[in-house]
Amino acid sequence: MTELIERFSSELAARTAALQGAVAAIRLPRERHVSAIVWQGGAVIASEQSLPEREEFDLVLPGGAEATARLAGRDAGTNIAALRLSQPAAPPVLAPGEAQAGALALALGADGAGGVSARLGLVNLAGPQWHSLAGGLIDRRIALDLRLARAEEGGPVFSAAGAFLGMSTLGPRARVLVIPSATLERIVPLLLKDGRVARGWLGVALHPVAVPDALREQAGQPSGLMVMSLVQDGPAAKAGVVPGDIVLSVNGAQALGFRRIAAQLAAESIGRTAALRIVRGGSVLSLDAVLGMRPAA
Amino acid sequence: MSAASQPAIAAGFRVLVHATDPARREAMRKLVIDAGHLPVDSPLAADVVLSDQVHAGFAAMPEHGGQCLFTPRELEVLGAIGDGLSNKMIARRLDISPHTVKFHVESLLRKLGARTRAEAVAKAHEHRLSNTVEL
Repeated sequence: MTELIERFSSELAARTAALQGAVAAIRLPRERHVSAIVWQGGAVIASEQSLPEREEFDLVLPGGAEATARLAGRDAGTNIAALRLSQPAAPPVLAPGEAQAGALALALGADGAGGVSARLGLVNLAGPQWHSLAGGLIDRRIALDLRLARAEEGGPVFSAAGAFLGMSTLGPRARVLVIPSATLERIVPLLLKDGRVARGWLGVALHPVAVPDALREQAGQPSGLMVMSLVQDGPAAKAGVVPGDIVLSVNGAQALGFRRIAAQLAAESIGRTAALRIVRGGSVLSLDAVLGMRPAA
Repeated sequence: MSAASQPAIAAGFRVLVHATDPARREAMRKLVIDAGHLPVDSPLAADVVLSDQVHAGFAAMPEHGGQCLFTPRELEVLGAIGDGLSNKMIARRLDISPHTVKFHVESLLRKLGARTRAEAVAKAHEHRLSNTVEL
């Protein structure tokens, strides 16, 4: 038994040592830092929400070498930022793997001086794809049963077998989430190539409301999304939408929730006309909006 | 939450602006608050809470499946309660009878599970913050 625990422990330590070449630190003001993953092709990826608005960053590479990196692109929708290193790095090859609920997860962070910090926990949840509040599609919902310091956010997460599960991210109430490797592989090339991820955009802030009883029959649905504010000269504003309008549907997709509407705003939707059905002042009317491209961040 | 957004907060209605870019946040804030951009006849007196989301965490898009939703009229009444108005004053502002106001207030308290008007305003604020999405 003792032998088993010792072996378990030394295996974890060996794995951490073998994978620490994938962990870099991005320096922040006031002696702070966040973690990042050294990617193939001279790139570094990090948690978008953890990075300040800057173009140039100072990094500490695995082993302690100092480096600078330029922001290539950031996507708040999937919480991924990609940077280009000014000097080459030789990260270990990360073999992607699937998270499984109940399995062990090893989360690595940067210590800020070229070394790593490690956390061990269970994969608390490995669910289906989900939409973030900022409109991005994340391939799987992965949550970990461990705590993470702010400085450790953005580091890689591995399975017990050493497979790369994704990048650690702090969710609401400091819950530790993982941006899956599949999402990273989908988004990082776009960020490196175009500097952003294109998404369709209406330019409205929406809040769910009940359709007033008198209009329910005409509307054909119990609820909609009320326009709380809209961006001046944005797609919805140009179409004649005003605050207080209740959106019933977009292209026939009923506005019973945000996700159905977000699903109408994929990259392909940019420049296309979206048919809006809205309630205004006691009647239902139709407006056509030419969808724009969601501005960065 | 910046000091600049304080006067608007008193109006009771809030729109959460999600943007990491301070310039864009400020632009959005102006847009919503400037009376010119929010028509006077708008059923909403919107104000803005600034959020850089850095401390909020990476959140999922909310879904409001089975929960109780407010009607537009209830939202107006809620805003008026937030302004500290009595039922009689709310009736005058919205040009409806005090009896109808009482009906809306009771419905609001029930939906929010609140015992007092103050509790209703606080709970509604929280609800609003977590359920407004920019698309």
